[in-house]
Amino acid sequence: MKKKVISVLLTATMLAGLLAGCGSNGDTAPAADNAADTTQTADTAPADNAQTDTAPADTAAEPAADAGTDAGEAVTLKWAIWDKDTTPYWQALKDAYEAANPNVTLEMVDLGSADYMTVLATELSGSGSDFDVVTIKDVPGYATLVSKNTLEPLDSYISAAGIDLSQYGGVDAQITVNGSLYELPFRNDFWVVFYNKDIFDAAGVDYPTNDMTFEEYDALARQVADPTFGSQIYGTHYHTWRSAVQLFGVLDGQHSILDGEYDYFKPYYEMVLNQEADQICRNYADLSAEGLHYSAAFSGGDVAMMNMGSWFISTLISNIANGEYDASLCGNWGMVKYPHADGVEAGSTLGTITGLSVTSVSDNKDEAFKFVEWVSGAEGAKVMAETGNFPALMNDEVSGIISGMEGFPTDAESKEALNVSNLYLEVPYAENVSEINDILDTYHKSIMNQEMTIDEGIAKMNEEVGKVLGQ
Amino acid sequence: MDEKKAAQVEKLEQESAVLMQKIREETDIKKKRKLIAEREKKQRKITAIRNNRIISREAKRDLIAYSFIAPNFIGFAVFTLIPIVFAFLLAFMDWDGSNAITFVGLKNFIKLPSDTFFVAALKNTIIYVVGTVPLTMIASLALAIVLNQKVRARGFFRTVAFFPYVASLVAITAVWSMIFHPSKGPVNYLLLTVFGVAQENLPKWFSGNLVLVTLILFSVWKYMGYYMVIYLAGLQGISAELYEAGSLDGANTWQKFKYITWPQLRSTTFFVVVMLTINCFKVYDIAVMLAGGGDGKLSTSATVLVYYIYQNAFNYWDLGYSSAIAMVLFLIVLVVTLIQFRYEKNLDA
Amino acid sequence: MSEKTETKKYSSKSRNALIGKIILYAILILITIVMIIPFLWMLSASIKSDREVFQMNPFVWIPEVPKWDNYIKIWTKIPMLKFVENTVFLTIVVTLLQLLTSSFAAYSFAKLEFKHKNTLFLAYIATIAMPWQVYMVPQFIMMRAMGLNDKLLAMICLQAFSAFGVFMMKQFYEGIPSELCEAARIDGMSEYKIYAKIMLPLSKPALSTLTIFTFVSTWNDYLGPLIYLKTESKKTIQLGLKMFIGQYSSEYGLIMAGSVLSLIPVIIVFLCLQKYFVEGVASTGLKG
Repeated sequence: MKKKVISVLLTATMLAGLLAGCGSNGDTAPAADNAADTTQTADTAPADNAQTDTAPADTAAEPAADAGTDAGEAVTLKWAIWDKDTTPYWQALKDAYEAANPNVTLEMVDLGSADYMTVLATELSGSGSDFDVVTIKDVPGYATLVSKNTLEPLDSYISAAGIDLSQYGGVDAQITVNGSLYELPFRNDFWVVFYNKDIFDAAGVDYPTNDMTFEEYDALARQVADPTFGSQIYGTHYHTWRSAVQLFGVLDGQHSILDGEYDYFKPYYEMVLNQEADQICRNYADLSAEGLHYSAAFSGGDVAMMNMGSWFISTLISNIANGEYDASLCGNWGMVKYPHADGVEAGSTLGTITGLSVTSVSDNKDEAFKFVEWVSGAEGAKVMAETGNFPALMNDEVSGIISGMEGFPTDAESKEALNVSNLYLEVPYAENVSEINDILDTYHKSIMNQEMTIDEGIAKMNEEVGKVLGQ
Repeated sequence: MDEKKAAQVEKLEQESAVLMQKIREETDIKKKRKLIAEREKKQRKITAIRNNRIISREAKRDLIAYSFIAPNFIGFAVFTLIPIVFAFLLAFMDWDGSNAITFVGLKNFIKLPSDTFFVAALKNTIIYVVGTVPLTMIASLALAIVLNQKVRARGFFRTVAFFPYVASLVAITAVWSMIFHPSKGPVNYLLLTVFGVAQENLPKWFSGNLVLVTLILFSVWKYMGYYMVIYLAGLQGISAELYEAGSLDGANTWQKFKYITWPQLRSTTFFVVVMLTINCFKVYDIAVMLAGGGDGKLSTSATVLVYYIYQNAFNYWDLGYSSAIAMVLFLIVLVVTLIQFRYEKNLDA
Repeated sequence: MSEKTETKKYSSKSRNALIGKIILYAILILITIVMIIPFLWMLSASIKSDREVFQMNPFVWIPEVPKWDNYIKIWTKIPMLKFVENTVFLTIVVTLLQLLTSSFAAYSFAKLEFKHKNTLFLAYIATIAMPWQVYMVPQFIMMRAMGLNDKLLAMICLQAFSAFGVFMMKQFYEGIPSELCEAARIDGMSEYKIYAKIMLPLSKPALSTLTIFTFVSTWNDYLGPLIYLKTESKKTIQLGLKMFIGQYSSEYGLIMAGSVLSLIPVIIVFLCLQKYFVEGVASTGLKG
């Protein structure tokens, strides 16, 4: 028996050795190809830019439609998106752009939202990808794609087109990688507090306001909550994402999740866990076990307040309109600005941007950039606003379009809630942001599941992120 | 036979004769054997030429055999063997899947012991294996013995016991997370109303220390039917005479089990334990589906090796590191399997 | 005297036997309950409204107004039909390929003599103990380089050529007396004919067992499709169901209806083939 085992091992290793010859050839070949590819694109890129330096300038001078017909030859741009059927703006952007640029055809490829950035990274790795424009869903994914050299730096295009980055209100600085920008934001969501007016009315409690401290917010939640079994009303609801709890802490503008020092999370964890203990909000362990979606929680009619991103506005409006959500449970809703810490001005909130990038393997980088520029510019912003979404380029006209939508709350406070004074990205760019993000997620889970005390969890965050940053 | 061939045969025969001479003179047995084999080869060639055959009988026989193996082996070699070799190499490399590969020696392995998440994953996986393997083995053996009795509706009971194995994991974990729901599920409801457990002490089945227990219970429930079938097959191989002899000697049920069933099932048990161990180390989907919550992310209390391999490969694109973890997984499985083989062999002796 | 003790012994023996029987059935029924309750729960929840699912007091198995339309709605909420199509296609192709190529190769290993036989077979054996997860990443990179990313074909390549199938079939063929083949050879039958006319018809139990294993594991596979199949129109029923649970977490009735649907095909296959199953496992030497 022993002999047999040894011979198994021997042949296995021999086989391994034998195959290593051809195996390693096969392995290194694509890698070498890639290296060649990237150097090649790196070489040609400046040349491309030099050639096209004038082209974008031209188009900037002329109306976009003319530029399209000028260029003449038909171009097809392959564009990576998610959830085509449930997200109305993809088609709207495509239609509007194609109408303005008849020579361009946009081919949308739906990669689904579930693991969009992972899927995209896979698609763009190695050879064989033919995407021209890709949508960037989150910053960790963006960091991955940039480090894999799959995205084209946009600086030269931006300066050639004369785009004023200040229109993005400083968000661009939070996604700049070593001085270069690899995406332009076209959608910018920020967090607000949604509330259910009927619940406040029934409890005889005043509505939340646009200027609440965290103490006032906590008190309000406790006032409106009703823990009676069977007719339970939750004062607040926190979705399982760490952003929903932890990131109250970054609103004072003095902290960032890239700090490596997270003691500032503590008061907010205490507030939420105390609410949980007093049955003011749903139990995290329950939420996690059933994987309850935040939309289901709010539309169920037993949640008084819920902090969530502005993307939920259009979901709420359309789902109440088409009867998916029971209007008698959640139809009478409003929204206010995020609560703020003592001594900090109201209106600071968290933001999440969605951007567009040009891939480094694209054959039509100029046309691709023109599309990116258009979507992230004023015209794209209008299309976004008309479909009920928040463009990165916010102005009064845009917020007017959104607050004027059918189904948007009619009170003045809700309209005012759209005005953001400071926007901090949920995840700003850093080289190791994926790892940091996961570490914070992990210990957020441990703290909320009460596997660790708040202090233990934060100590672990400090320690583990410290390791990543120290590398 | 033309001249060319005749010359060839003559040459071969001469060489063969020389070899014969050498064989006679050679004293070292190993070298002698080698020479004999060489000479036989030459002889075969001669007969082949003499019989005017292009392909020797052996070659034809080999070709037929290979034609049987080829369809499977080519697929197997391309899609399994090559990636395995690749995995071994990758563990010593640094690669993000796009940029150039660099050789980094043992760096990936050196990083492992100080990586909190790796250590947690390793620890959880081992606890899971240590909990699941013996429990599943005992449960499936007991089940097999019960279902090997002459009972009514035996087929029905066997089918029912096998059901969980056949059922899809996604579907069945969805049911489990409802049944064990910490505040609404029927299990905790029973604990609350029938067993009088206080509401705040109700177990949270999917978090903290309990999550591994839940994973183990689930695995035993799901996989015992499968191993039961293997045990049933083993039980049917035991001759009834042994039990008759046992009865004549006045052995009771327990003694029969101890002195007949258990020793007779030894090789089956060995197979079951080896397969169980290998399969348990692979745990991934059960953990993600039962403990992952809405986003499928595992905290340190539930993370397992394969989850961390996946995470490093497809989220951080640290392919070298993920392969290094995979190698650790492989080595553990290998060592455990070898120990089991050794133990089995010692019993044999 | 001696007769008396004899009857006493006898009656106590039969009483013991009776008690044994009762205990035996009690255990059996208990096991059955444990095994089957989750499935009954699934069936019951699939026709309940979301509110009724967790209603404990009073708990009913069949609600007053069963919501059969959960079974209709699930087809429109997600592209269930597409998922089923993909999964059926994959499972059938993989199972057929697996059966064909494994039994083919196994015949050669079991009944023919050829050069490098042991080396080749050891290559198979050595990988049986190798968890797929160890090499899934390199395998994925290779497949992607071959342009198979996000193709159903990738899943077929991945699952159709397992070492396990060859090993199992070889064990079974070794149990068939070689004289059968020898006799056929003397009659001048070619090896291919021997395989087709003699071996295949004899291997029903082994093939049934392998079918169950392959069918079940392909149908229920999650991690493989998760890595390879990205666009919605390529997803399998497991991925689709998981996606649905993520999106509509609180629609328990629908989730359970989808789950029930996903179980039906495997259960049918299992019930059809199960009579060969124990025999198959026994004869393939899987018992060790």
